[in-house]
Amino acid sequence: MLSTAQNKTIAAGEKLTFSASYNMSGLLNELAQVTMETSEVKTSKSTLLKLKCTAATYSKWDSFFKIRDLYESYVSPKTLTPYLYNRDIDEGGYKKFMKYKFNHKSRTVSSLKRKKRRDGTDWEEKKTVKIGTSTRDLVTTLYHIRNLDIHKANVGDSQNFTVLFDNVESVVTIKYLSKETINTALGRKECYKLAISINNSDVLKGNNANLLWLTADQNKVPVYAKFKIAVGSGELKIKSATGLKY
Amino acid sequence: MKKLFIVLGFITAILALILAVTPLSKIAYIPSIAALIFGVLALVTSKDKHSGKKSIQLIFLMTIIALILTTYKAIFNTVEVGNTEQLEQKEEQLEQESIDELEGLEIDE
Repeated sequence: MLSTAQNKTIAAGEKLTFSASYNMSGLLNELAQVTMETSEVKTSKSTLLKLKCTAATYSKWDSFFKIRDLYESYVSPKTLTPYLYNRDIDEGGYKKFMKYKFNHKSRTVSSLKRKKRRDGTDWEEKKTVKIGTSTRDLVTTLYHIRNLDIHKANVGDSQNFTVLFDNVESVVTIKYLSKETINTALGRKECYKLAISINNSDVLKGNNANLLWLTADQNKVPVYAKFKIAVGSGELKIKSATGLKY
Repeated sequence: MKKLFIVLGFITAILALILAVTPLSKIAYIPSIAALIFGVLALVTSKDKHSGKKSIQLIFLMTIIALILTTYKAIFNTVEVGNTEQLEQKEEQLEQESIDELEGLEIDE
């Protein structure tokens, strides 16, 4: 089973910074800074790994469309099994908060959704969602992809992951396309080229148009990503990476 | 014919100017180039007549301002993240909340 796979890649204290651009009629506009950070979190009984992703628009966009998104997940440092997931988004004034508490024994997630009404008051929705054995949240899935044994996979292999998003489980397929050497801010890197698709969803468009490049070393750093959505396409480029394990 | 080019030139030049002042300034290159082409076409079609060069000059003027502004922005504006204080506060608060929450959860390592 996948969820018990050992974590060999992700260490605490790692910080990756990306720049997200949106492609408008052939011209790339740098939109936002995306970071992926890991840190250690201690409770009285155990030590957990905190995976945090944030997105913040660059200052020139703030008066037009300000984004301050926070996605985080508290996982077991050994197996990357998620226990708690928070999503707090603010996208141009649209605010939403989601919290999942994973109970792996009963295979349920208690979710809490908090939204702001137009008049400024909050409303909450609590729900218990049944999940499968290997269902993860979005953040954990992103990190889990880096923990896969891609060096053992053959070109053309694919694997499915179940991701819980907005209280709905969706199946995400990752396909190993090829090895490619690309230029990045970290230098010229040999990378694994992966295609991502979401089954039964039309968020991501095109066939093999949503791509992810992970460095073909032990760190498997995501260095470049391309995505295609209904209103255009964009890309994510790495700017810096610190605190890597190897 | 000349009138059509002048009208099109005006529309694209104004569009270029508007885009140039927004954060989307890079896109202003497209209407700028269109405005220049329409301006030149208007000049060519009005060669023999002596009337109304002013509006064509205005098109060129606006386009050049738009181009200068866009180029200036592209060269000198560095991309940086704005104020993230609120986000950082939220992060801290959430971490505190989450630790409390995690204390109550059963975690088997």
